[in-house]
Order: sequence, then structure tokens, then C-alpha cells
Amino acid sequence: MSELIRHPTGMVGAGLLSIIALTVILGPFIAPYDPQAFHPAVRLTGPSAAHWLGTDQFGRDIFSRLLTGASPTILFGVGATALGVLAGSIIGVTAAVAGGWVDSVIMRTLDGLLAVPDLLFTLLIVTILGGGIGEAMLAVAVAFTPGMARIARSSVLSIRTREYILAAIARDESRAYIIVQEVIPNAIGPIIVEATIRVSFAIMIGATLGFLGLGAQPPSTEWGLMVAEARQYMYRSPWVVAVPGIAIAVAALGFNLFGDALRDAFDPRRRRR
Amino acid sequence: MTRQEEPGKRHPVLEVRDYSLAYGTPTGPVEALRNVTLSIRPGRTLGLVGESGSGKTSLAWAVMRYLPANAIERSGRLELLGEDLRAKSLEEIQNLRGRRISMVFQDPGTSLNPVLRLGDQVAEVLVRHRSLTAKEARQEGEAWLARTGISRPSDMMNRYPHEASGGEKQRVVIATAFACNPEMIIFDEPTTALDIITARQILDLFDDLHDETGVTALYISHDLGLVSRIAQDVAVINQGEIVELGSCEHVFARPRSSYARNLVAAVPHPDHRIINTEPDDGDDLLRLDGVNVRYGRGKNVLDFLQPRREMVHGARDVSFGLRAGEILGIVGESGSGKSTIAKALVGLQDFEGSITFGTKSYSGRRRIDRTYRRAVQIVFQHPDASLNPRQTVGKILSRPLKLYGLAPRPEWARRVRELLRSVLLPEDYAKRFPHELSGGEKQRVAIARAFAAEPQLVICDEITSSLDVSVQASVARLLVELQQKTGTACLFITHDLNLVRQLAHRIAVMQNGDLVDLFCSSEARAPDRHPYTTQLLDAVPVPVEPEEAAVTA
Repeated sequence: MSELIRHPTGMVGAGLLSIIALTVILGPFIAPYDPQAFHPAVRLTGPSAAHWLGTDQFGRDIFSRLLTGASPTILFGVGATALGVLAGSIIGVTAAVAGGWVDSVIMRTLDGLLAVPDLLFTLLIVTILGGGIGEAMLAVAVAFTPGMARIARSSVLSIRTREYILAAIARDESRAYIIVQEVIPNAIGPIIVEATIRVSFAIMIGATLGFLGLGAQPPSTEWGLMVAEARQYMYRSPWVVAVPGIAIAVAALGFNLFGDALRDAFDPRRRRR
Repeated sequence: MTRQEEPGKRHPVLEVRDYSLAYGTPTGPVEALRNVTLSIRPGRTLGLVGESGSGKTSLAWAVMRYLPANAIERSGRLELLGEDLRAKSLEEIQNLRGRRISMVFQDPGTSLNPVLRLGDQVAEVLVRHRSLTAKEARQEGEAWLARTGISRPSDMMNRYPHEASGGEKQRVVIATAFACNPEMIIFDEPTTALDIITARQILDLFDDLHDETGVTALYISHDLGLVSRIAQDVAVINQGEIVELGSCEHVFARPRSSYARNLVAAVPHPDHRIINTEPDDGDDLLRLDGVNVRYGRGKNVLDFLQPRREMVHGARDVSFGLRAGEILGIVGESGSGKSTIAKALVGLQDFEGSITFGTKSYSGRRRIDRTYRRAVQIVFQHPDASLNPRQTVGKILSRPLKLYGLAPRPEWARRVRELLRSVLLPEDYAKRFPHELSGGEKQRVAIARAFAAEPQLVICDEITSSLDVSVQASVARLLVELQQKTGTACLFITHDLNLVRQLAHRIAVMQNGDLVDLFCSSEARAPDRHPYTTQLLDAVPVPVEPEEAAVTA
């Protein structure tokens, strides 16, 4: 952990992530207004003492909406990634351990899926499943699975021929012991790193889906949806679009920087120096 | 030789005076070289000997003026024929490298550019530094390749690095280094990555070229035996300090510092046997009958696209026996099949033929059962890779106890302590993780793990080759001690002939997958040896005997 903080990227990433985590946990409690309350007298105003980040087209307080919107947005990203990583890791480890034709069939299928861009793939799944935040989360998870499977597989393959694994086979250890005790603890590093970086993509895809009306539905305060709803007032009051947009960017940046720093910390060649 | 100017006769070619170097790291500077002083007179070869991390390569880079950005030069002078190298500009240094000082690296596989033809790589230096035209450079390069003993130089000029053998590539690198008649050449372990016999040929080539051109050389190596053969002077470096400097005869016969004395004594010498037991008489514990291992058996779905895939023999019709309590050495060059046999014996490799252990025969990898696997344990070459980095030493050592039910759970901790003691490690190492241990300590843990299973046979696959000379000696002694205490048989696989002659009862020689020779260690020099055995023995220099070491060993 101290390794992480020493890198400037790690420090910034960790800082941003702690702010985000605080917002997720405390946001709804410190919000000065009810995020759904209309204030018709003050619609589309800029920042003021009463409304720090201004108000939207219905006069709702943007600062309050931003604070309450953190949890659906971030939890969406984390949840979708967690599901995708879990499914991908199971498939990837299975392929790597089984080897032979099982590996070939699984990986060629996943290669086919990988050819479809993430967003397009997600849209396709959402179209089949129907809109809504749960469906969108599932869609992002499915879209992430092939890539994660590939990373899990290569991570396992690179350690499958290490001598400690050979030693375990020579000792006549069971397959389950080898996978759980010897392979997974050593293969998990790259998977965690990739997952952290992917949370930022998931947040952005979630926001995109919200923006397109396929993810969170009004009156949710999900940040992507906030941008979408305010789009037509963009020229009258740029605040309504800019604030949630910047929030999305900052959250994504936080996860991305933290993931990069994690990767450096896990890489023994960089750690040495 | 046109460049051999007369002042060179008076000045030393290379003079290093009071040179100190450190590397900046996040945890503060680390000293790499401390007050190094040495000089090489024209035409002499100085052997620089040290273990890994001793700073010998740092010194080479410092002389080449190719230090990483975090290097801090504390003090001292580096002089080439009286010219201060540290004062030179980058441009001057670039003109100097290759023309006046050149370097031969350890691994020819990585020091040549894989996408350029070998000829172009030799010619490049000549065009750059001697301003020859491309055509002249090729002719000159070809002439140099011929001088390095390459049989068809014009053919070699047109090949890419992957089309040449390791020895041929190293000859090309050497040709490139000599091509501009430099005043000085630095050799950084030029034979370490090569096979025994090839290494010997490269050494002979070095001798010939050295006599022919009279070049001054700094020869860096960890191998004392080798340095004593080719260098006139030797410097021993330990943790960045020169602890011994003098002529070869002096340093090897009467080392003054205790470090050098230990280092000289640690070099395996075939006459100093470190075993004194004889194996049990009686039936063989282990017998291999016509064991064949073939690689390249297609498993891939796409193999039907290339039906004629070649099968390579890893081992061909290998048969031998091993008695209880016997140490059998297996020697051979890389690719000779010695590790293949080890893998087949511990059930990591499919094989044909039969392995008889005790009274039971096994005719394939899948027939090997747990009883056999417990009785036959393996220790691998790389201690870094053979211990799971996420498990503590205690967990690693208690695993065989649990797996084979050798001790009830409450006994584990005590047994682990015993095992650690038996390999001369402190008991509290049980709580440590492998990365907190040195290479030699890790290898001791690997040995302890093998002996934890209370085996009847331990297979040691090159267990000393990735360790430093002094550590090597202590690990070998430890193994022999344990072997004698427990009466376990041992299959000791190595490429170090001097070492194997010290500790094996019998020695098997493998070549290209065949077992070509099998003899008692004392009969290594008998006249009826296989010619390949003789060739191997001749290729390895027997180290010079230190005067007192004979007593201490």
C-alpha cells in the first residue's frame, strides 16, 4: 500500500477515490436539499449562495442531486465490473487449466465477441433485455466478460508452467488444491488491476446508457441521466450539463489512475527500483 | 594494429583510480563500487572475478560510459591511455565506443539485433568507425569472421541471428569487437550462456585472437577456474570493493583476503571428494528400462492443418539403475535430455518404456501413484520459481506432511523447525515469505521440502547452477550431508563436471537424448571412456589448486 501512495499517480488516484467513496456513503445525508424537490422560482440558475452548483430546469438543486447520484453511478460501475470479472475469471481460468480443445473453443468464441465494441455490445444486450439500471448493469457485465476471460487466462497460463506448480503436480496434489492454493493467489494481481481500470469504463458506459435513456430512468439522479435531461438547456445554462459531466470524468479518472498505480505496484520489475 | 601508438607502451591502457559509484533508489543511494583502483598494462588480460551483485558489471558500464540515469559517480578517475574518460563529451564517447573500447556481452542471443543480417552488423561498425565504404566493410567483416574460425564466412554474412548457433553468434560478436582494432575489449561473461564444449572453443578463440592482436582485455567472470586459465592478472571484487589484486599464480595459490580464500576453496575440484559412503549393495532401488520421451505430440485442434509435425526425441531408449543410498550424477549439455529424464521420473512428462521402483513397475506417466510420488521427490533449478511466493516457508514445508499424512497436525510446527534446522536455516524462517530469503536460502527450503516427504530418492535438477560459487559449494555439501544422514538415493543432474566428480558415486553422460556413458567417478579418466565424455572433461578447466585449500577441504 505504501508503494501505491509513493507514486504521484497512485496518490492522486487514491485521493480521488476516497473523495468518491465519501460521497457515495455520506452524499444523501449531507445533501442540503431534497434532490427531487422543485423550486419553480429559481430554474436554471448559476451557482449562488443558496444553490452552490446552481439549479436545473425544474429548479432542483444540482449539488444535492450530484451527491445523491454518486451511489447509483459508482455502484453501477463497481457492480457491473465485479460481475464481469467474476464471470470472465471463471471462464478464463477454466480455459487455461483445461487446455487442449476446450481452451481453443472457448477462446475462439470469446475472440469473436471481442470483435464487437463494448458499447455496441451493451446496446445490443439492453435492446434484448429492455432498459433499466439492473438490465444495463448485466449488459455491461456481459460485455466485459470476454476481455476479462482473456486476461485471466493469460495470467494463469504464465504461471501454469512455473516450477512451484510443477512441484505441486509432482507431489500428487489434487487439481482443486493446485488451482485454489497455488494458481489463483498468484494469478489474481493482473485481474484486480484490470478490474480497477475497467470500473472507469463501466461508469462511462453506464452514464452513456443513462444518457441514451437505456439505463437509469427518471427521476433517478444517476449522473449520465442528469446530463441527458439537461441537454436541451445546455446553451441557456451550461452548469446543468457541465457539473455531472465533470463528476463522471473525475470518478473515471480516479479509478483509472488508481488502477495504473496498482499495476506498477504489482509489477516486481518496477517495484525493485 | 595501425593504431598501436607508442605512448601505449608506457601508460597502462586502462587505469581506474579510487573510483566510487552508487545508484540512487527511492530508499536512498546504494553503493555499487567503493574506491576501486586497478590498471591493465598493454597486451595483458585482467580477470575480474566476483559473485552476482558484486559490482563487476557496473565497473564495465562505467568504463564504457554507459551508466543509467540514477547512477551517482562519487569520486575517482577512469583513464584510457591517460585520457580522462569522465571528462569526455557524449560525442567523443560515441566515437570511442567500438573503435577504441569495445565490449562482448554474455548472451549472444540478445546482443545481436534479430532483424539485421549478421554481415550488416559486423559491417556497420567498420563503416561507422573506420569510414570504409559498404563494400569494403563487408569484405573486411568477412575476413574477420574467417579469423574467428567460422567455416563459411560469406554464407554467415547473409544469415540472420536465428539462423546461427549460439557459438557462431558469439564468434560474430567477437569479430565485431575486434574489427576496429580497439585498444581494449571488455568481455562480460562471454561463455556463460554457452554450452560447455562451445564455451571451450570460444575460450580457445579468445586466446588465439589475443596472441594475434595483442589487445588489452578486461575479462569479467564468476568462474575462477576459467579466469585462471586465460588471464595473467586477476582482481577479486566483493560488494563493490577490490579485495585482491595480483597475478593469477599469486592470487590462486596464496589468496590473502579471507573472501578470496573462501572463493578459491569453494570452486569444485574433482579430486576433493565430499562423500565418503558407499551405496548399499543389493538390488537396484530404481530401474529405467528403455525409457523414451517424445516431444511434439500434437494436442492442438489446428494440428490437422499440418499433419507432418516432427517428433523430437527428448530421451531415446534410456536404461540405467540406481541403488539405495547412491548418488548418480547425470551430465550433459543443454538439450541432452537430462532434465527430460528428471521430469519423466517425477511424473511430469509422458514417457514410454518402464520405470521400476522397488518391486513395482510403472509403464507410463498416468500409472504413477501416490506411493511413488512420495518416495521420489524433486528439487528444481530455480529457487525463485520453485517456491510459491504467496505461501510462507512454514506452510510450504508442512504441505508434504499433510499431503502424505506423515505427521499429525500438532506435530507440524515442530517438524518444520526440525526441517529448517536440518538445512541450517534459523527456525523463525517458518514465518517468512520466499522473497525475504536469498537465492541460496530458498534453495535450502526447496531441499527441505523434498526431504520433508521422507523420500527414498531425491532428484536434483541443476540445483546449484543458478547460485553463486560459494553458495553452490555450501548447498552441495548440505545435500550430501542430508543424503548420508537419511540414506536417500540421489540423482544429481548438472552440467558442472568438476562438481559432479566431487560428489557422485557414478556418473551418466547424456548427449542428444541418448545415454552414451556410465562409469564410476574414480574412472572418469579411464582410457575406455566414450569420446564425448573425454571431450566434455577436456572442455572444463580444472581449477588451480590453492596451497592451503587442500588442507581445509
